[in-house]
Amino acid sequence: MPDATDVLGSLLAGGDPNEGQAAMVERTSAIEALPAASREWGEIDARSDAPRWGMLVDTERCIGCWSCAVICRSENDVALGMWWNRILTAGDDLDTPKVGEHGQLEMEWMPLACQHCSDAPCEKVCPTAATYTNDEGIVLVDADKCIGCRYCMAACPYGVRVFNWGEPEKAPGVEEGMVQARPVGTVEKCSLCVHRIGEGQEPSCVVSCPAQARIFGDLNAPDSRINRLLHDRGGDQLLKEKGTQPKVHYLPPRRRRSL
Amino acid sequence: MTTLAPPATPTSPPAERRGPRYAWYATLAVGLGIGLFSYGYQLTGGLAVTGLTNTVTWGLYIVVFMFLVGVSAGGLIVVAGSELVGSHRMESLNRLAVIVSGTAVAAAAVSIIPDLGRPFMAWQMMVSPQLMSPLVWDMAVITVYLTIAGIDLWILTRPKPMPRSLRIMAMITLPVAVLVHSVTAWIFGFLIARPFWNTAILAPLFISSALVSGTALVLIIAWTVRRVSSWEPPSHVFQDLAKLLAWFVAVDFFLLVAELVTAFTSQTEYHLAPLEMLFSGRQAPLFWGQLGFGVLLPFLVYAIPKLRARTGLLVAAAVLSVLGVFAKRVNILMPGMYEPQINLPPGASGGVPGGGFVLDQLYVPTWVEYGVVIGIGAFAATLITIGVRRWVLPQAAAEGADVEDAGDDEAARTH
Ligand code: SF4
Ligand code: SF4
Ligand code: SF4
Repeated sequence: MPDATDVLGSLLAGGDPNEGQAAMVERTSAIEALPAASREWGEIDARSDAPRWGMLVDTERCIGCWSCAVICRSENDVALGMWWNRILTAGDDLDTPKVGEHGQLEMEWMPLACQHCSDAPCEKVCPTAATYTNDEGIVLVDADKCIGCRYCMAACPYGVRVFNWGEPEKAPGVEEGMVQARPVGTVEKCSLCVHRIGEGQEPSCVVSCPAQARIFGDLNAPDSRINRLLHDRGGDQLLKEKGTQPKVHYLPPRRRRSL
Repeated sequence: MTTLAPPATPTSPPAERRGPRYAWYATLAVGLGIGLFSYGYQLTGGLAVTGLTNTVTWGLYIVVFMFLVGVSAGGLIVVAGSELVGSHRMESLNRLAVIVSGTAVAAAAVSIIPDLGRPFMAWQMMVSPQLMSPLVWDMAVITVYLTIAGIDLWILTRPKPMPRSLRIMAMITLPVAVLVHSVTAWIFGFLIARPFWNTAILAPLFISSALVSGTALVLIIAWTVRRVSSWEPPSHVFQDLAKLLAWFVAVDFFLLVAELVTAFTSQTEYHLAPLEMLFSGRQAPLFWGQLGFGVLLPFLVYAIPKLRARTGLLVAAAVLSVLGVFAKRVNILMPGMYEPQINLPPGASGGVPGGGFVLDQLYVPTWVEYGVVIGIGAFAATLITIGVRRWVLPQAAAEGADVEDAGDDEAARTH
């Protein structure tokens, strides 16, 4: 039975409370309907018996194109005005890239989404356990339990959570995503495309990146590509000193990209 | 002495005082109306109608919540404190103080509701509480505190005095009061994402601010009730409260300085950014205003006997203290919110369609937030009015008769 708030929410929105659920099932199986080549391209590589999913962003390869940010929105039906994934630019503001040695301009980007912290501050403060970590290490929000207190947003050091301040709005003519939209008054964020992982597929942002700057995989599988790269090139975690132990790692650029 | 007329009960004051009374009721009704209307509006539009954003996710509602939890300290601590040291000097304030405290906690509990995105789901906190969350602890201690205020009021309004129960309650009240303010501080203090809040001094600071605003509010309300009714507390209570306030303000100021100096001398960026905002940035007018008008000026009045002897001045100082503590709450919340740890262009998403990205969010409350807060204020004032009319004024009337009968005894007792 749909609970009272969902009914109320969708009454306000003028929809049928069950619609989203049915649509989600339909849309998820749409992944199966993808051409074999696309499916193969997105397949997750080596995985262990008890996977711990992680992401690696190679900042040397990232060209700051925002493809991953845009596909994330359509994959996850993210409403207008919100982004689960943003590309930050080094420097004081967008028009003025970072000034490096000898006054050269330097280009550097930092794609930023939920870091899927192993010791997640957002999860610790959530009063209803709406924010939780699943068996495979993915930090998720159960929209049905979220009361919209936004404590998790205050607690997240990375500022990656977004709130449905009003009734979620879509751009006209835009197809809905692969998961159910979240109701007004709840918090949401990157789910590592958990619905795709279930289908053996990498997250959308990984598949879509034209520079192949994103590497996704099982941190527990010794010979996964993510683990090999981490082993070979090290890797940074953002705000490491906070002790949140993110499962998203960044590879620093080996050479400087200057203009 | 004999009186021909029945003792004048304050519930039926002389005809000329009815006007102001009805005007007051009308004001309360209008305030409640504004609050309900604003909240109704927010319910239909979601929190998008507030000035909050994905960066500044907490604003006026949370400031009001902190503030109300704070002012709830005054009453109960004054009662419990003087009870524990065996002083009866404040006894005449007991009922009023407990009513003010109880009201403040109740209003604090109410004030958190408009901040929730899905208030209808708040029951989730009971059925699926996550015990690590300070918000859950706060809900628990606030419930306990409200219950204590209720029991205290019940004890104080029995026809026969119950000194033993009052003493036991006092022993329970003090630790719970300390806990309420500490837990409320920890809601902020535990967050590693906000270095400005993430300091051990936050809990003591919340307690000292709570004592200042709570005691000042009791003073203001006692003075108001005295002016508009026949209730007459012994005049020394105002002086006693002023002396207490001098100490509370001094300690509160000391703790603030201790924190700011520590943060300032560390000279690390994430400590300095919020300080800059306070000293010379966006919050500077409120910060220096708070120190000048909310701390220094009232302190002089409380501390200098000649000044505090003038009740009018004393009440004005108390009003400044309350406003000062409110400003201080704002100055605690906003720098913490304004300074995200990762702050690179293009910034955080605006949150609403067409909101774009914003690097340096400026939070300005909307009329909806002010409206809701007016409603919460009216709700608190209504509770206090009901409480005072029901429990303080009749007692005053009874004691008034008592004093007339045995004026000498009363005088002997107070000396
Ligand atoms: S990055 Fe933020 S939202 Fe994601 S797990 Fe860490 S604290 Fe939570
Ligand atoms: S906003 Fe939702 S997910 Fe975040 S802490 Fe509150 S209840 Fe939990
Ligand atoms: S993993 Fe999926 S949800 Fe997360 S940023 Fe990438 S596309 Fe968005």
